[in-house]
Formats: sequence, C-alpha cells, structure tokens
Amino acid sequence: MSQIRTAALPALARVPGVAIVLVALLVGFSLAGPRFLTPANIANILMQSTVLILLALPMTLIIMTEGLDLSMGAVLTLASIALAMTVVATGSPALGFLAGLAVGLGFGLANGALVALIGIPPFIATLGTLGIAQGLALAVTDGQSVVGIPPSIERVYSGTLFAVPIPIIIGAAAYALGHLLLYHTRFGAAVFALGGNREALRLAGASDRAMLIVVYAVGGLMAGFAALLMTARMNSAHPTAGIGLEFDAIAAVAVGGTSFERGNGWLFGTLLGVVAVGVLRNGLNLLAVPSSAQVACIGALVILALFIDALRSRP
Amino acid sequence: MSAESHSAAPLFALQGISKQFPGVRALDDVSFDIRAGETHMLLGENGAGKSTLMKILCGAYRPDAGAFLVSGEPVSVITPADARRLGIAVIFQEFTLVPYLDIAHNVFLGREFPGRIPGLIDRGRLYRETRRVLDTIGFDIDPRLPVHRLGVAQQQMVEIAKALSQDARILVMDEPTAALSERETERLFAMIARLKARGVAIVYISHRLAEVFALGDRITVLRDGRKVASVLAAQTTPDELVRLMVGRSIDTTYGRHFCDSPGDLALEVKGISADSGISDVSLTVRAGEIVGLAGLVGSGRSEVARAIFGADRITAGEIRMFGAPMDGSPQDSARRGMALIPENRKTQGLALARSVGDNIVLAGLRKMFRSGIFSPRRATEAAQAVIERLRIATPSPRRTVGFLSGGNQQKVVVGKWLNAGARFFIFDEPTRGIDVGAKAEIFKLIDGLAREGAAILMISSEQSEIVHVCDRAYVMRAGRIAGELARQQLTEANIVRLGMHQ
Repeated sequence: MSQIRTAALPALARVPGVAIVLVALLVGFSLAGPRFLTPANIANILMQSTVLILLALPMTLIIMTEGLDLSMGAVLTLASIALAMTVVATGSPALGFLAGLAVGLGFGLANGALVALIGIPPFIATLGTLGIAQGLALAVTDGQSVVGIPPSIERVYSGTLFAVPIPIIIGAAAYALGHLLLYHTRFGAAVFALGGNREALRLAGASDRAMLIVVYAVGGLMAGFAALLMTARMNSAHPTAGIGLEFDAIAAVAVGGTSFERGNGWLFGTLLGVVAVGVLRNGLNLLAVPSSAQVACIGALVILALFIDALRSRP
Repeated sequence: MSAESHSAAPLFALQGISKQFPGVRALDDVSFDIRAGETHMLLGENGAGKSTLMKILCGAYRPDAGAFLVSGEPVSVITPADARRLGIAVIFQEFTLVPYLDIAHNVFLGREFPGRIPGLIDRGRLYRETRRVLDTIGFDIDPRLPVHRLGVAQQQMVEIAKALSQDARILVMDEPTAALSERETERLFAMIARLKARGVAIVYISHRLAEVFALGDRITVLRDGRKVASVLAAQTTPDELVRLMVGRSIDTTYGRHFCDSPGDLALEVKGISADSGISDVSLTVRAGEIVGLAGLVGSGRSEVARAIFGADRITAGEIRMFGAPMDGSPQDSARRGMALIPENRKTQGLALARSVGDNIVLAGLRKMFRSGIFSPRRATEAAQAVIERLRIATPSPRRTVGFLSGGNQQKVVVGKWLNAGARFFIFDEPTRGIDVGAKAEIFKLIDGLAREGAAILMISSEQSEIVHVCDRAYVMRAGRIAGELARQQLTEANIVRLGMHQ
C-alpha cells in the first residue's frame, strides 16, 4: 500500500465517505440480526462480490476517462450464453470460455470504436450496444435458460485453491492486476490523462484514441471473463442474468469516490464500494427485503457516500 | 550583451515561413532565428501571428512555405516528435497537465522509463529523474504531489520542469507570467537567467513591456502576420515597440478626463469579512467614479468583489447599494443593477459556444421578456443595439463568441450587463490577456460607462492602469484595506508601498 501514489491515497485525516458508509453498514446489519456477522456469511458476501469487482474495476477506468459503459451487464449476459451454448455444443469448457471472452472483447472494441473513432457520446454508444447485446441474448435463447453445463465449469465457482475459494482468488488477482495497470504502467498514466487533459496526452506523442479504445476493450473483456463466474455460479446461462449489473458497477465506482470529471479516480475506493454494495445486498437479503427495494437502497447508498464527501470537501 | 557578439551561426532559424488559414493569412514570409543562450522576445498584438509561429515551431502546424534550419542545415519539422528531437520544448499558456497524476508522472508523461518487468514503469527512476529536474530549477516540492493540489504558479513550474526534462535547447514560453504573482515572476526570471547561462535559447512571448526589457536580448515584433522588426533590447524604447506593434502611435497613458464631481453614493461597504480571507473591508464608490482596487495577487481583491456581488457569504459587516442594504445573493445583486465582470471570462462570464447575441441578452432575459415568452426578433434588436454602442467587432450577432478576440469578448461581457440595466460595474482584471491596442479600447469603454453615470470598481494588478484610469483607489494587503489613495496621492510608488508585505 505504501507504493500507492499520493494521488490515490487521501490523507488519513480525511476518511473517505465510502469507508464511513461501509463501517456503518457492517455495524448496522450486525446489530439487526445474528446471521450477518458470521464467517460463513462474510465469505458469502465476498463470493457474491466477485462478479461485481470484475465489472467495477474496468468501469472505474472508463469513468475516469469521463466515459461510461452501460452495456456491461448485457454483454456479460450474452457472453454467458455464448459460453454455455459453446460448451453444450462442443463439450469443451475451454472453447466455451474463449467464446465468452470473444463476445466481451468484441463488444468492448465496438464501444471503444464508437466512442473514440466516431465520437458518439459514451452514454449513447453503450446504450446502443446494451440494446444489441440484450436483444441478441433473448433472441438466440428464445428467452430460455441454457442448461446442461458440465461440472468442470461449475467448479470454477465452488472449487478452492489452497482452501481459498477460487472466485475470491480471481477477484483478488483482478484487483492486483488493475492496480498495477492503473498505477504502474504507461497505460495507467494515459487513463488519468484521458479524463484529465487529453491534449497533454496528444502533445506527449501518445494516441489518445487508441488508448480510449483499449480502455473500453478491457471493459468488454472483463465482462466476458465475469460471464464465466456468473455461469459457474448459476450452473446455467440465463438471458436476463446480467440485467442491471452495470447499475451496481457504476454505483460501486461512484460510492468509491471516483469522480466523473477530470480523471479523478481511486481504485481502492472502488474495491470498498463493491464490498459496500455486496454488504448492502446481502444484509437486505437476510432481512428478506425484496430485490426491487434493494435497488432503491443502492441508489440511496450512492447519494449518501457522495453526500458525505461533499460535506467534507466544503471549506 | 549585444546580439552581434553571438558570433556563432543561429542555433535554429525559420526562413520565409507562410501559413494560410481559410480566410486569414496568419503568417506571411516570416523569418526568425534563435541563438544559444539568448532570450528572444516575441511581441505583437493578438492576431499578429505569435501563436501560429509558435505552433509551427513545435510541429503542431505545418507551414505552407518556408524552411527550418538547424545550424545552417535544413531539417523538416512535421510532428511534435520531430520538434522534440531537435530540442524544442514549448510551454503553452493553457497548461498541459493532468490534474490527478502526480508531478513526476506529469513531467514524464508519454516518456516514462520502462522497468525491469516488461510493461511496468521504473518508478524509482521516475521520481529520481523528476527530483533532479526539479532541483535544476530550484523547485523544492515533493514529486509525488498530485498536480491538482498545486497553485497556478507551481503548475507553471511543473510545465517548465516538463519542458526541461526533454533536454530542451530551445524553450518557448507563451506569456508565462500571466498567472504569476510578483514574487513568483522573480523566481521565474531567475530561472531563465540560469538556463541562459547553460546555453539554452529562450523564445518568450509577452504583452508586458516591462518584461520585454527586463529579460530580452532581442525583440521581434509581429504585426498582421508579418515581421515588422527585430531589434536589440538595448537599442529600443517602450514607445518605439508600442508603435511597431500597433502600427500607429497610441497614447499609452490612456489620457482620461478624471471625474471631479462624483454623484450619489452607489456602493457602500462597511466592515465586511468573509471566510475567503478578507476582514473588515470598507469602501465606497460613487456614481460616475472609477475606483481602483489594487494590491498583490492573493491580497484578497477578487474575494472582495465576490463578497460584494454576493457570490461569497459575508460573516460580518454590511453592503448597501444606492442606499438600500443587499441581501447577499448574486440574483439580488444582478436584479438591482450590479454587474461583476470576472477575471476569467472564458469560464465565468461567457457562454463561449453561443452567439454574441445570445450572450448579450442572457443576463437581461427576465427584464426583456416579462411574459416569459422569448422573442428572437427583439433579442436580436437588443443585441444589435449593444453591438453598435460598444463597437463590438463582429460580423453579426449570430457569430459564436469563442471566435472573437479577447478585447471583443470582454466587450460582450460588458454588453450583457448593460443590456440587463446594470449601473454598478465591478471589473476584475479587465485587461488580462488583452493586447495593447485593445487595452485602450477597454479603458475607453470603462470611461464611457462612468461618464454615463455608472459607478465602477476596477481590480488590476498593473499599477500603471490604476494610476492612469482611476479617480481614486484602495490598496489591499493580506485581506484588509491597507489604505486609500486620493487622486493626488495616486502613484505607482504609493500603491507598491501600501501593498507590500512588511
């Protein structure tokens, strides 16, 4: 942690809103019922958060470029269906995995090209690809689940490595890679510049367009990867499985303190934001709150975290 | 040192450079050379071709005709990378910094050192090299600080470090002191002297004649895309330079007829304080009067303006306009005829992407269209009247404001408030970034407003402007009024004396 550049590490005196919110949620749900604060439930929360972290990490980069990717949930759905159908048709989990990744990467590149080359505003471009991906998912499945997936896929979610559940290893590895990418590579510096000062990037001799395409492509690729976890968790692929995941991802990024302006992003904040969203959903589940009301609670969570930050940033 | 004593061939020369834009001949057969260790000042009004010349130097534009010579040999400069290879570095007026990257990453943006692990940056070396560059310019700051936490002057220093880290042999600076205080300017000048001693050639663009003489070895004056003259600083005078720039002899003292019998009390400020750092500020402005607000950058002048306008809440004191107390909101101030013409027109005073006409009617919409229904015809008529009254140089009210010159943009801001019926104007640095010829126009405009009975409070960092334009002035120091100077006492020396920190 000591290696994080100063930009990413707020002064300890100013505890970020997301940390306050997270602690408040943990305390609140612990007091609300005995089933929340158990090792099994905590592990459960982390397990359930892994799909979200895979989406929220690239979403952080995209939002740092003053962009947005609304298509992530739908692309994940379509990738999951491509994966399942390929596995069912060929019997090869590897081919299925690659099919999912290919769908994700394809949509990511398309988003990047629409935004960077054609200049369509990210909100509109990814709204369009959301529709396409979601529509395709429903069309090819006729609205039905794809079943008959071999247990080897299912084990990606339920299996362990050195007694650690595989999804948690994947989530941790994804975060570590994201951290390296953002804070230790040229590409990471370019992400800060894409949102902060694109002209600076151009004058430095880098191709801002190429970098922007890569940012969206990473988002698509990660959605394709997350499709593996999602499919493994449900042991099937369903054409509505990923609906609204982009909402959770954007919420986690916003709760985590990444601003939508000037390339002001904080990856660790996104991690905390993902956990906060996971804790909220899990706690509300334990309290038997219906999922529609959960969405409203996540919305309130975003506003609360940003409200705390706004209060503190006043002179 | 005279220019002739640099016996060597020029380090770098531009020969017969021409550049045509649609409808404008930006540069016409301009030749220009730079010698090692000299400061070459580039002077000219806005639109004279300085920026175009600079962009050609750094490879951002390609000239239509002309040649680049390095040590007498022709070379081609087509891209920014070519220019960088030749050792040309440019410090633009608009910063090219990334706010949420730290200083080191900004200095080496796009040139990061590869580490041992493929793909990763060698951060140890990044911070070491940055430290080294910062040390050479005597800038003692943690290279891990993100740039958005720095002040404007510190950001300027980062820009300079960025340019120098490329081992620049030619450093081009575009109005580097525009945003600096006097102390910071001194530091910059000291650094320029050190660079010159190391043989770095400096091309320095400026509007400020004092700087031109303080720094320049040679001075090249551009006018309407042509080179008018290259002269030695030691062999010219400010008056001659002004004449060369504008092509006619203008009165640099703005010769104003001062107001002998001011009218009623327009603004009365009694002991106001605000969280922005001003305390116990009292001042008055009468109708027909131009009152100056002088002081160093950071002494609280703009904060006083904001407090008067209601943009910042006051924590003590009272503000009265035309006898009635203000309720401290910008809406109330604007409705009652107060206009704040901010320092930064681009972000605070104008909708740059909208037309001249739209901008002019913007503040007066409520007054003009009481029914709430907008009439384009009436709006255009009102805009046209203001354009004629202020002599705004625009082909039509439909012209986008962003395309006008700085002086004309300033007029549009004034026109906006005139149309809204303003009677008390606060000008915050009205001539910032405006060339000499347009300055006189702006002062004529302010004078005209005062003659028609408007009350004016004018903030300026240029003491000569306060002395030549204002009927009287207040001088601020560290958030307080350090003193008031009546017409007879209003001299640059008195302003400096009152404004200096003890």
